[in-house]
Amino acid sequence: MSESSGDPGPLVSPQDNAPAAQDSTREEPLVRVEHLSKAFPVQSTSLFRRSHEFVHAVDDVSLDVHPGETLGLVGETGCGKSTLARCIARLYDLTNGSVIFDGRDISTLSRREMRPLRREIQMIFQDPYGSLNPRRRVGSIIGDPLVIHGIDSRSERKAKVQDLMELVGLNPEHYNRFPSEFSGGQRQRIGTARALALRPRMIVCDEPVSALDVSVQAQIINLLKDLQQEFGLTYLFISHDLSVIRHVSDRIAVMYLGRIVEVAPSAELFTNSRHPYTRALLSALPIADPDAADHRESIVLVGDIPSPTNPPSGCRFHTRCPKARPDCVRTDPMLEQAHDDGAGHLTACLHPLADGEDLSLAKPQIEDSEILMTPTPGQLTGPEGTS
Amino acid sequence: MALLEVRDLQVSFDTPDGVVRAVRGLSFDVERGSTLAVVGESGSGKSVATQTITGLTRGAKIAGSANFDGTELIGADLQTLRKIRGAQIGMIFQDPLSSLHPYYTVGWQIVEMIQAHDHSTSKAAARKRAAHLLTLVGIPRAESRIDDYPHQFSGGMRQRVMIAMAMALNPALLIADEPTTALDVTVQAQVLGVMRTLQEEFGTAIILITHDLGVVAEMSDEVVVMYAGLVMERAPRRTLFYRHHHPYTEGLLASLPAKGSPGERLTPIAGSPPSLIRLPKGCPFAPRCRYAFDKCRTETPPLATVFGDDSHQSACWLSVDELVREGQRSASYEKEATA
Repeated sequence: MSESSGDPGPLVSPQDNAPAAQDSTREEPLVRVEHLSKAFPVQSTSLFRRSHEFVHAVDDVSLDVHPGETLGLVGETGCGKSTLARCIARLYDLTNGSVIFDGRDISTLSRREMRPLRREIQMIFQDPYGSLNPRRRVGSIIGDPLVIHGIDSRSERKAKVQDLMELVGLNPEHYNRFPSEFSGGQRQRIGTARALALRPRMIVCDEPVSALDVSVQAQIINLLKDLQQEFGLTYLFISHDLSVIRHVSDRIAVMYLGRIVEVAPSAELFTNSRHPYTRALLSALPIADPDAADHRESIVLVGDIPSPTNPPSGCRFHTRCPKARPDCVRTDPMLEQAHDDGAGHLTACLHPLADGEDLSLAKPQIEDSEILMTPTPGQLTGPEGTS
Repeated sequence: MALLEVRDLQVSFDTPDGVVRAVRGLSFDVERGSTLAVVGESGSGKSVATQTITGLTRGAKIAGSANFDGTELIGADLQTLRKIRGAQIGMIFQDPLSSLHPYYTVGWQIVEMIQAHDHSTSKAAARKRAAHLLTLVGIPRAESRIDDYPHQFSGGMRQRVMIAMAMALNPALLIADEPTTALDVTVQAQVLGVMRTLQEEFGTAIILITHDLGVVAEMSDEVVVMYAGLVMERAPRRTLFYRHHHPYTEGLLASLPAKGSPGERLTPIAGSPPSLIRLPKGCPFAPRCRYAFDKCRTETPPLATVFGDDSHQSACWLSVDELVREGQRSASYEKEATA
């Protein structure tokens, strides 16, 4: 099920030249990320001097993606989730660490060496307007990957593209239309068809439904799910929307300021989160159910994500963590099993939450906590002299 | 009398492609101190409606009435509108960065706002009040941050500044147009919290425009669901979530990922919203509706009381009797399951 054995065309499997993978695809992860870091130089204010400051977008992240699964990657703006995904797809060069795809280290491959591998890893982007060239016809947009990789003659290509269009729920007769003639949801289908053209094994979906209305969003989620079953695809699914992530993912990794703070099977993360950040993130999710919304634990995090140019010492979450202790300021926690969790549930926290622990009762015991510096909204006297 | 009474509001725009009929007969009331949520997908007319009420849709053809606390806003002259906007009706928008002037400090902008409406306030007093407002919305070290420029604040903090500015003159009504859409969930929780506390403290009425049903469930007292410029359903919060009548509301709620169990197929609404230039005959939702029958495609259903509940209205030809409607619902799903 996890193998796309029906691969069309003269596809050279990278497995052939990967001694490490052998036949144990079931246990071997499809992608193994080891100590991956990516830093971007901060633009210098001076024209003549290069800046020595860096934004550490992703910092020492290790992660496995298993064949056939959907790994969800959640986090807030600026946590590095998109950067991590783009490093894995090698759209960015890595600063440090390695990405092993199907047993082969791809982190140092050149553009040319990378090209055959591009057939295996494809991407679907967030913005269905920005990711399609408005001046080109839909048929040629979807057929592009086939042209680039020299697959099929022109006549075969058209048939294939129309098959793809049908597969993603588009009318094949719209082959000659322009992207502007399609709605947002349909454009996302076009992007999906393009990603599927080469029958990849893995698709990195970077916020594929965030720009869509709810009713259309559900259509695309179903489509991605169906395609996964049909072709045994592996998804790395990025979203800031926890309800979408919960719905599609088998496992979820939560990121904060360039680090993975917790990774667990989907259901377990929602019922038994260990990291205070995960717990706060889950509690902030609005629930479309008035009764549930009225009676639930709500932990409102104060402040904003600190700057990734100069992240806090020790645990990066300590400035906003209700449970912060003095050792959190000094010690950088490792991603490891907490309490009696299984091997698949890892947490990077020195004081992970116990079963049923109430985070809203916790008080930080450190001095530089933002919680102690932030005024509580409204709990002051009213504005003096209001007319 | 309600604080704001909107009756049969119609807004259309002339474009080179034809007439865009953005709002086609919208009526609602906002009671003092309560929150009305206006929900809808993009293009449903929810933003255009509130912008029209505050006189911000220039070049539009407008009909209908909007009575705010005894003053008619539709067709009012600029002077009247200026007196009301800001002072009695505060507004916050989705993107706080483009609502703030990048060249001036946030304190300057709040002070200007206070002095524009209240000439008797001295600059020093206005500044003091600005600092106080910033503390009130939860900005740390407000006394020093008052002299910062908008770009020095994060997205969530900018939205707080906008709320502080909108609340500066203690308006009776706050119009919040997708106030948290651009924000992360944890920041969204902060901003919604600020809005809720201020409402409790000052008794401000809020019109909350959003596409997020989660936010509706958390914040609203009453809900108006819009589609293609028309109200599909209007109901108190709990009624809308648990006893909705209209198939569109039903479809919206069913398509939420949180509703199904993980991994299961979702039940989306088929198709996409209609073009506002070439609207279908009859009910605009009929082409996507699982219950649609012949009458739906020829006659537009009026907004009528359903389930014998005066606070609950729906624009749909389906039965207004709860038991019959329930029967139609299960019959439709059974038919789909066997198909």
